[in-house]
Amino acid sequence: MMVPVRCFTCGNVVAEHWEEFKARTREAEEPEDPEKVLDELGVERHCCRRMLVSHKDLVDIVAPYQ
Amino acid sequence: MSYKCSRCKRDVTLDEYGGVRCPYCGHRVLLKERSRDVKEVDVK
Amino acid sequence: MTQDYEVEFVERSDREARFLVRGISPAFANGIRRAMIADVPTFSVDTVRVIENSSVMFDEQIGLRLGLVPLTTDLDDFEVGDEVTLSIDVSGPETAYSGDLVSSDSLVGPADDNIPIIDLKDGQRLEVEADAVLDRGREHAKHQGGVAVGYRHLQRVEVVGDKGEFEDDETHILRGVIEEQAAEHVDGDADDGDLVLTEEFDSDLTKRYPGKELEVHDVENAFVFHAETDGSLSVEELTLRAVDSIRSRADELRDAVQL
Repeated sequence: MMVPVRCFTCGNVVAEHWEEFKARTREAEEPEDPEKVLDELGVERHCCRRMLVSHKDLVDIVAPYQ
Repeated sequence: MSYKCSRCKRDVTLDEYGGVRCPYCGHRVLLKERSRDVKEVDVK
Repeated sequence: MTQDYEVEFVERSDREARFLVRGISPAFANGIRRAMIADVPTFSVDTVRVIENSSVMFDEQIGLRLGLVPLTTDLDDFEVGDEVTLSIDVSGPETAYSGDLVSSDSLVGPADDNIPIIDLKDGQRLEVEADAVLDRGREHAKHQGGVAVGYRHLQRVEVVGDKGEFEDDETHILRGVIEEQAAEHVDGDADDGDLVLTEEFDSDLTKRYPGKELEVHDVENAFVFHAETDGSLSVEELTLRAVDSIRSRADELRDAVQL
């Protein structure tokens, strides 16, 4: 649904990077490499990286059924 | 108990005779309205 | 009986630090690590009163998300159990962010402003009052100030000779911090006694000491801590408070067993 606020494994706050991550890797006209974007955002550990890489926003998909 | 018809979006009050049905459009899907009370949730 | 410890910073910023502590036992090092995780209190939302929530998520889900938002904590002015009320009121179409939380106390507020709480569509609204309470990490993980706190032995690399002429150039991966002992074998600037992060040479010892036969040893009673915080405290504050909590418990124990 919405991005998890923290990494499930280590507890680091990852949600604050989500919008930039999404804009640069998925919504940009020329999407950047997620690996590079995560490095630049300072999301270092692979437990935190998977939180952003594997996430999909679902609010837009469920909203019509409210 | 107040409900809302899912088709015509009008408020509906159910009585014991009418069954579950919107009196305005006959639609059988009714949504229950959220209570206006303040709900307290424990985040533990 | 007091004893001095030598502390040296390798890397330091507001939320992340790496520091070397000499002269402590492994048990004490672990005590510090555990205290940083479980004994330093931070504020976190604990109870929410939902006045209106017409978003696509349940009240409980919103509450959980608010609970995970790190709140700035000033431990000089608050005690464990103290409460601060925050409120949020956002109408769609807009996203409610942690930065929209309005606090009743200027000392306590969201440490990060751009954590999305919930995406609100046209006509949806979120109005919530939240009570944040100061508590410890051992009560609930959301009260943990330290994130990924850990330590490693400081390591010493010894050059014991040259590698055989026909030996393979296999990588020799080592992570952590090394104390330079063989500066004369390193190209470029290096002095004996330097603390070197292994990332500086790609964590591969063959890049720093090419063609040498190496031996790696732990330096006894020297630990390199790596600590991060979620933003509620600075690393410095977190570490000092952790050590203080150990000291106060040790004092308590001493008083309790004294005749």
